[in-house]
Amino acid sequence: MQSSHIIIGVDTGGTFTDFVFKDNNGWGVHKVLSTPHNPSKAVIKGLRMLAAGTPKQVVHGSTVATNAILERKGVKTALIANKGFEDVIEIGRQNRSRLYDLAYKKTPCIVPYSLRFGITGRILYSGMVLEELDPAELQRVVNSVHETGAESVAVCLLFSYTNPCHEKHLGELLSKLNMSVSLSHEILAEFREFERTSTTVINAYVSPIMKKYLDGMQTEFSPQDILRIMQSNGGSISASTAMNESARTILSGPAGGVIGAYEIGKIAGFTNLITLDMGGTSTDVSLILQKPSLTLESTISEYPLKLPMIDIHTVGAGGGSIARIDTGGSLQVGPKSAGADPGPICYGKGNQITVTDAHLYLGRLIAEHFLGGAMSLQYTRLDSFFELMSKKLGLTSVELAEGILDVANTCMERAIRVISVERGHDPRDFSLFAFGGAGGMHAAFLAHLLNIPRVIIPQNPGILSAIGMLLADIIKDYSRTVMLDALQTESSDLDKYVKELENKAISELASEGINHDKITFEHGLDMRYKGQSFEILVPYRYDFIESFHALHEQTYGHRNNSMPVEIVGTRLRAIGTVEKPAVKRQKAGGRHAPDEAVLGEKDTFFEGKNRRTKIIKRDHLLSGNQLTGPAVIVEYSGTIVMPPFASAVVDEFGNIVMEIT
Amino acid sequence: MLPNPILLELFKHRFASIAEEMGVTLTRTSFSPNIKERRDCSCAVFDQQGDMIAQAAHIPVHLGSMPLSVKSAIESTVFSEGDMVILNDPYKGGTHLPDITLVAPVFVRDDSPSFYIANRAHHADVGGISSGSMPLSSSIYQEGLIIPPLKLVDRGNIDRKVMDFFLSNVRTPTEREGDFAAQIMANTTGVRRMKQLIDKFGFETVFFYSRSLMDYAERIMRKTIKSIPDGLYRFEDVMDDDGFSSEHIPLSLMLEINNENAVLDFSQSAPQVSGCINAVYAITLSAVLYTSRCLVTEDIPANAGCLRPISITTEKGSIVDARFPAAVAGGNVETSQRIVDLVLGALSQALPGSIPAASQGTMNNVAIGGLDHRTGKPFAYYETIAGGMGATAGHHGESAVHSHMTNTLNTPVEALEYTCPFLVKEYSVRRGSGGRGRSNGGDGVVREIQLLSDAEVTVLSERRTHAPYGLFGGSHGQPGKNSVIKNGVTKHKPGKFNMTLYKGDHLRIETPGGGGFGEKD
Repeated sequence: MQSSHIIIGVDTGGTFTDFVFKDNNGWGVHKVLSTPHNPSKAVIKGLRMLAAGTPKQVVHGSTVATNAILERKGVKTALIANKGFEDVIEIGRQNRSRLYDLAYKKTPCIVPYSLRFGITGRILYSGMVLEELDPAELQRVVNSVHETGAESVAVCLLFSYTNPCHEKHLGELLSKLNMSVSLSHEILAEFREFERTSTTVINAYVSPIMKKYLDGMQTEFSPQDILRIMQSNGGSISASTAMNESARTILSGPAGGVIGAYEIGKIAGFTNLITLDMGGTSTDVSLILQKPSLTLESTISEYPLKLPMIDIHTVGAGGGSIARIDTGGSLQVGPKSAGADPGPICYGKGNQITVTDAHLYLGRLIAEHFLGGAMSLQYTRLDSFFELMSKKLGLTSVELAEGILDVANTCMERAIRVISVERGHDPRDFSLFAFGGAGGMHAAFLAHLLNIPRVIIPQNPGILSAIGMLLADIIKDYSRTVMLDALQTESSDLDKYVKELENKAISELASEGINHDKITFEHGLDMRYKGQSFEILVPYRYDFIESFHALHEQTYGHRNNSMPVEIVGTRLRAIGTVEKPAVKRQKAGGRHAPDEAVLGEKDTFFEGKNRRTKIIKRDHLLSGNQLTGPAVIVEYSGTIVMPPFASAVVDEFGNIVMEIT
Repeated sequence: MLPNPILLELFKHRFASIAEEMGVTLTRTSFSPNIKERRDCSCAVFDQQGDMIAQAAHIPVHLGSMPLSVKSAIESTVFSEGDMVILNDPYKGGTHLPDITLVAPVFVRDDSPSFYIANRAHHADVGGISSGSMPLSSSIYQEGLIIPPLKLVDRGNIDRKVMDFFLSNVRTPTEREGDFAAQIMANTTGVRRMKQLIDKFGFETVFFYSRSLMDYAERIMRKTIKSIPDGLYRFEDVMDDDGFSSEHIPLSLMLEINNENAVLDFSQSAPQVSGCINAVYAITLSAVLYTSRCLVTEDIPANAGCLRPISITTEKGSIVDARFPAAVAGGNVETSQRIVDLVLGALSQALPGSIPAASQGTMNNVAIGGLDHRTGKPFAYYETIAGGMGATAGHHGESAVHSHMTNTLNTPVEALEYTCPFLVKEYSVRRGSGGRGRSNGGDGVVREIQLLSDAEVTVLSERRTHAPYGLFGGSHGQPGKNSVIKNGVTKHKPGKFNMTLYKGDHLRIETPGGGGFGEKD
């Protein structure tokens, strides 16, 4: 490493744009107020501050593509499909996402009917061309697409994953126009036309926006600087790839947090984690069993996005979630949130009780240390609101406050059960890794509910996503639907497809600056029993059929050796390992926390009882310090609540490791 | 003792989470696409009387009928720990024969069960005269094997005699056995979770909150009914025909709203018919529960409390309360939709602003079976096709989506052509088929399939002659259209038909549009 070299992780997800960096002087954290209308302003401001004139390597988690979808601010996008199938994108899977909604509406299609074009030409499931393209018609369609003024076009033809010749031909014609082109066999070479079309259309819709955004930042990067973009699969890619395959960056912010948890957990010796990222309006949970779990079932704004992503489950409970009494007299918390404006009652403007207000009411939030004292909380505003609601419910105010937290915890408990118990994992075999502003206030209680023995809260829990980006490898995922009868398939048949994907990966990673010898390949096969409509991912080894039966039994509880097995597709994950900076170690101390760490004591309620509770400043804790509950640990970006049933130790990396009894 | 409002909410989550976890186990471990991908199944928790506490429903038509099945299992069985009872008899709480229910007891301390766990799944075949067990039948005996409540699992062991007897009577025994394994596993999960809940919080508390949650749902349902103006509201609609004669079949409802109570009188509806579209009482109950649930804005559990303020009157031996041995295969999928149209039609007079016009009112069932020329092996295919939703005062109806009593997924073209000898020629929105109005009804769907092998085709569909109604001056949605194309010549077919098609022939289904709402200014 050069003497004056800096590596930086940048996350633009929140109110602040977070920078985590490492240079020769060690680790540092920097925050710049975000500029939501043009996020690059804050990024550029921070980069100039941290790395003016210094060679830099930046990994950037950008919400540009995500927001373009959520706010429907992508570019005007056209779609070319087979004639008679232009509406596949509109029909979807023909189901509705809300069963009891008499006025049910789908999210409107990204490509309206007037921008969809059909062409003749048909390929069969075998890859055989049944009907050729009509050159005259093709030219007419291409001209019509051009005339609409669309900036981007998606092409998705039936069975293009087995034979892309028609899509390629269209791609050539369209590339002569000045527009962004997304071909479905390049974005996702897999069967199921609706999901493939949806993914391709999303890519077409956001890529030009991402390109403009990254082009706007080019001035900040000299030729020897490196800019990489975080993807939702937990790895990064080069800025130039991200411009063409922007769909891969959607939902990458939460993925950064999971990678941060994974890398820091690994260093601290914990490889099986349940991550808990609690923010203002929602909470994200995910499961790490040796490595982060991936899913192919993601959606954004109800549009399927069938690229491999870190499997994150979100529930509408956060610090700002509002408590209310429903018409049947039951206490509800969320999913409505007070947001940043008006915010919780204690922020001064709100007039509906939130989870944050309940914490403050019980004494678990310390008003004078909230955000390092930068924002004062108004405890006295709470009384009248709590009195009013608790009277309606026939409870004491303390019972109400604890009840609000119990209901919020139960929502989060259900979310954790979804990713653990419902997928065959026992929470007792995991540690709960909590981050985000409010994660540390709920983690111990959740662990208690789910019999999770341990809670880990990293240093700087509010900026873990940026740390994860900085530590992420370069990862590219490839897939191809093949539809083979497993019993009649030799490894040599499969190797043809495997080699094809590997060669593609090697050449693409070379352009990312990764040498062949730095690449690790993970090969997989999507397999199922013939007749099933669901595949499972089996590692590709010589005994893949037996592996399939065994994995099927492990996942679904049964196997059937006499039933024919199908290989639906092949998958490749190519990982280019990047050099990871060493994590900062915490100075060692004794069993007892230093005196200056203990700020005082105050009255706090746990299970209806008033307990004298220590207030501890995290910045002063040293490695080896032991703590017993009840205690409240404060730091700039968050608060940790240790109930009476928890004890904790500070490990050598500064993580607080809580044992739950 | 009054329920604590916090514990009430916590137990709502706890019971729901048990039903949901069962649902995940069932869909995850089942073998057939019908359960795994189309999710034609439901799971629920019951008290010792068989009253439903919580349900994870993927399909509304199971809502009201599960408790009736559980009650008839309780009546006819002396349960021991580890038993599970199987049944599908539509005249004992079932809906139609492919829907098979499995009931398990939860023993706590007494000799008799304290709670019950049950799940129901649509099996792709239960015997009978046609593959898929959804024939255009004239008696239930043609529809498949009728299973009265029987112990499939006896003290933890599968009764091989019962299992083998069943498997000998169905076309796809391996798949069926795989799905039974999943149903057993789902109930095992439910029983285990219920016992954990009782261990943790004590029987008294769990029992108390199971009752409190029914009272809670009842309170909300009463408030919902109270918000509807008192009065008598009458509505009539028809089924096109029963597939044997071309006579339409009138259905009638007199809805009485009286303060917090609703009385639904269906007794003026037509007598049961020869064809397969008779609905048993459980289906009528489900359709009423579904519609009531749609009116509630809170996220309430679907439990026995919801029904307390509602009473339903039917005439035994009628189209909405069939008597044995009437054919019922299509009552579940077609007549259930019309009962919803009837209830919504009556409600639209009471709540003119908030009830939509008629949705497509059919599920457009298509079954195709034959010998695949590519493999020489038999193939069987069943699908339902989406259509238009009815418009509301404020919104156009949604197009190309399943409505009301079903919500099953389609099969992708790229999966279909791989597994069946078909070439899909068109899959599109049927533009302009929704009724016009201030708000327009949603459009139906066009699905055209060319057969590449000879095959037997059965279509069971409705709203081909009588259109989905518009409201308050909005026009009707266009009725659906079924046709067969041979050598380029199109021939229209009725709503319900069965015929052999030959290689090269096309089957074209155009599904109905939803009704429009309000006069266009």
